[in-house]
Amino acid sequence: MWSDPSAGRSASLAAPPSSSAQAASGPTPGTSDPGPSSSSSSGPPKKPLVKLQRFGACFAKEAVDLNELRELLWSGVPDEADPSVRAKAWQLMLGYLPVHVERQVTGLSKKRREYRELVKDYFERSPEMRSDNENQILRQIRVDIPRTNPGFKFFGDAVMHGIMERTLFIWALRNPASGYVQGINDLITPFLVVFLASYLNKRDEDLHELEISEVPSEVLEHIEADAYWCLSKMLADIQDHYTFGQPGIQRMVLRLKEIVKRIDEALYDHLTNNGLEFLQFSFRWMNCFLMREFPMRCVIRLWDTYIAEQASGFSNFHVYVCAVFLVYWAPQLKMMDFQQMMLFMQKFPTEQWRPQQIETLLAEAYVLKSLFHSSPKHLS
Amino acid sequence: MDAYDYLFKFILIGDSAVGKSCILTSLIENKFKKGSSHTIGVEFGSKIINVSGKRVKLQIWDTAGQERYRSVTRSYYRGAAGALIVYDITNRDTYHHLINWLADARTLARADISIIAVGNKSDLKDKRAVTFLEASRCAQENEILFLETSALTGEGVEEVFVKVAKMILNKIEDGMQHIEEGLGYHGLFSGLIDPATMMSGVHAGARSLLNEASPAEPASRCISC
Repeated sequence: MWSDPSAGRSASLAAPPSSSAQAASGPTPGTSDPGPSSSSSSGPPKKPLVKLQRFGACFAKEAVDLNELRELLWSGVPDEADPSVRAKAWQLMLGYLPVHVERQVTGLSKKRREYRELVKDYFERSPEMRSDNENQILRQIRVDIPRTNPGFKFFGDAVMHGIMERTLFIWALRNPASGYVQGINDLITPFLVVFLASYLNKRDEDLHELEISEVPSEVLEHIEADAYWCLSKMLADIQDHYTFGQPGIQRMVLRLKEIVKRIDEALYDHLTNNGLEFLQFSFRWMNCFLMREFPMRCVIRLWDTYIAEQASGFSNFHVYVCAVFLVYWAPQLKMMDFQQMMLFMQKFPTEQWRPQQIETLLAEAYVLKSLFHSSPKHLS
Repeated sequence: MDAYDYLFKFILIGDSAVGKSCILTSLIENKFKKGSSHTIGVEFGSKIINVSGKRVKLQIWDTAGQERYRSVTRSYYRGAAGALIVYDITNRDTYHHLINWLADARTLARADISIIAVGNKSDLKDKRAVTFLEASRCAQENEILFLETSALTGEGVEEVFVKVAKMILNKIEDGMQHIEEGLGYHGLFSGLIDPATMMSGVHAGARSLLNEASPAEPASRCISC
């Protein structure tokens, strides 16, 4: 049965979730083959190495087996991995990089060429030809880009602003049902960080002081195109998050409410008795996939799993992660009134969180999801 | 420490990047928040201010400016006793949209909501695109209050909130007078506020003298909007 993730933990705000044995091994993705993988058979010290070898073997095949990759990526790319591993795994799972190794080079250069055409068609047209609506979109993007601040110096650089402006503007014009919505600027940043890390062969945590001028322009062009296509793939599954009325988000907030009511009714009652509405605190969680709640290193780890889940990661599994995250803070929240809760939930003490803590959330969310999916009546 | 006479709910609205969140941070933390991200949906802040000898607790909902978020932000209008419509004095478009925001507030909020137009970024004198005089006239024609602020220097920030709170207090006192005259709250025309109704965005605190009718509640008790 579902166990309270906060059970047995210190009530101290500073205390991060303990890294449980469950988190260390991680569940296997339950899409097609829920059976346990061999990854749990080796001892803990050797584990990352074994996993690295498995990634290597997976990529070395003539055609990458996406089921195998899904299973590997679900439990995260190990810290020890070459930075290109994550970039490659994301691009493959998102359907951007062809699975057939021989087609990868030509496939990528074709997409990058295509992107250059899009820039010409949509962005480099003379400004007089832009409609009022297009100007309004561009204005909003230009206002938001300098305010995109995921903790890396290079996001303040004009060159990076140019990259974001073009990708976001082109995406908005090609997806008129939603257009550009504030927060999508946040969503492109993990792609930019992961792809930059891959090209520069640096860990993403070593990119904090990176000067964009040190990066060859050819590399930047590739990263821009790759980030554009991967963002497009990711958003394709969650478009109704950003269309009129944002029905996708409303639906997820409602579902979160139902799940929390089911797994921690005392917390649910406490929230509602204090007049707190789920939309008031969880809208942002859905709109930006907890990017505002976690440091980038944690967001990237979260996305390993979401991307591995393919279409349902961002649109479905995320709700379970949110539910576990909320219930994790239940001991603190239950001591607070409306105002204290609102303020607390606007700035969770998560700045020091490490990917290992995200893995605990993911493991518990996985258990929760399995529980609900095996007996959907829980939600009726 | 936390005791107050009244609890007022405010809403901060206006185009994006005019400085709504910075005004809120300036009020609460007395400092300018540099490098902050844009608001997603709605954020929340609170502060107790002194108005005409009363301690007034403000609960402020700070909304995202982008059109697409209206479906989320509009639900916050109804419970608000005061609204700050913010524009950027260096950007005429944001000033022109003031009228749209006002229309929104008038449609979605209670009829007795107290509204102030706020021209922010008054420190950027060289870039000024909207004069004080024209904005002041516009506010007068639309029967709303008006002030300029600089969230950067803090100039005018607290005054804005005090001004709106004062207006609401006056409405409450007018209402009290009517009660003393035996008219009661409910027979009144709109424009007067009943602190005993939850829906008004106004709530009497434990210190309040008006509280005789209802049992004493803990001062920190909050209501939803």
